[in-house]
Amino acid sequence: MGKAVLVNDKDNVVTAVSDIKSGEDAVYRVSSGTKQIKASEDIPYGHKIALTEIAKGSAIIKYGEMIGRAKQDIKPGQWIHTHNTDETYAPSR
Amino acid sequence: MKFMGYPRPNGRVGTRNYVGVLAAVGCVNEIVLSICHQIKGTVPITHQQGCLTVTSDLAEVQQAIINLGKNPNLAAVLVVALGCESVFPEEIKAGIAESGKPVELITMQEIGGSIKTIAQGCEIAERMVLEASEIHREEFDASKLIVGCKCGSSDATSGLSSNLAVGEVCDLITKEGGTFLFGEVCDIMGSEQILARRAANKEVGQKIIDAVNGLIDRAAAVGADVVGCQLTEGNKKGGLTTVAEKAIGATAKSGTATPQGFINYGEAAPLNGGLWIIPTPGRGFENLTGLAAAGAVVHLFTTGLGAPEGHPIMPVIKLTGNINTWNKLNTHMDFNVSGIIDGTETIKEAGKRLTAELLKVASGKLTKAEVLRYDESMNILTYGPVI
Repeated sequence: MGKAVLVNDKDNVVTAVSDIKSGEDAVYRVSSGTKQIKASEDIPYGHKIALTEIAKGSAIIKYGEMIGRAKQDIKPGQWIHTHNTDETYAPSR
Repeated sequence: MKFMGYPRPNGRVGTRNYVGVLAAVGCVNEIVLSICHQIKGTVPITHQQGCLTVTSDLAEVQQAIINLGKNPNLAAVLVVALGCESVFPEEIKAGIAESGKPVELITMQEIGGSIKTIAQGCEIAERMVLEASEIHREEFDASKLIVGCKCGSSDATSGLSSNLAVGEVCDLITKEGGTFLFGEVCDIMGSEQILARRAANKEVGQKIIDAVNGLIDRAAAVGADVVGCQLTEGNKKGGLTTVAEKAIGATAKSGTATPQGFINYGEAAPLNGGLWIIPTPGRGFENLTGLAAAGAVVHLFTTGLGAPEGHPIMPVIKLTGNINTWNKLNTHMDFNVSGIIDGTETIKEAGKRLTAELLKVASGKLTKAEVLRYDESMNILTYGPVI
């Protein structure tokens, strides 16, 4: 069983805190106990796993805030990183 | 929520009771250190500034020096001047004296050399230490605390554990009426719009955004792109996907509190409570000094890989969420929040435990950086060229 951390209840991702193999469940703490998500691909330590369906163009949420937008439709259990996420930050001018 | 602190004449409260020996200019650092090596109970306040920088930087440095002297962790201050510095030692002495604490000034070129100045400084410092030793700790509400924070030598655990635990402390302390200082501009960059939206008013929000834009512009002036190089290859390998993700993970140290106000580097924060933003750089020497000048009396320093920093006048509590760092660098680390990572502790639980540790340190428990005497490395931020 792999391990992951959910930072905020609003998040649609968790972060792996062990190397998780494709098909392996990752367990994470929630306020009421624990939940788990089955990884559909290999997820290295420190990387993110989708908890929900995230449609192309939708917000990827961690810390309860948008950290980027989905470049393509993402399914629960998928790895979330630069290959499927657009940067949303630009300086305010 | 209570702690045992040292009362000061201006109503502020210290967590330590040092005599500060303060260099007006970097040229007298060696004299300051000699006095401090001789006299127990003193701390050296040294830096590389005070001369041959642009006028605006000299004014900021003088303000920072005065506010370092006013920090309530100092019971009394001996200012050591050279005699030809570009800052004004008499103004520094008068500025510190406004806080009501004893201040004296000695000038090396007037006294006639280092040896005589060290001797005279030691006599004054000895008297000041003996007088300060009669000030005793009393019980105060946490509303009298000013707490600083920063992250350094971060890793994947920082944004997932230690920064979040500090954010909980920020929320708990500010709810008690205490003051929390946050603001590494390089780390805010990417989350400034979020922090600005949280601010008490538009003016504070705009100052946060301006601070980030100022850093971007200063870097651009020397041909560097600080936004473009913010997310390093190492960050990406470690799992950080966007600049926003990295920034929000660092800004998490400010919890969910409302930024009440913004003060410039070198200025002192009012003792009004709440979260205050101060545009310090990420580098520890200038960062910790800026927070100490702002009046911070205790500091929370999160680290993943294990930074050794302390500060001459502020106890610095170093915490890590990386169990390997906790074990391997245990002689430097004060607090372990790796339970958040392995699932044995929630962020809220770790935050409560860390708040209890903060109050203990504020009441006199020593940090490892203090025991290891990490107390001679500091500097004051400047923006313009050295001339």
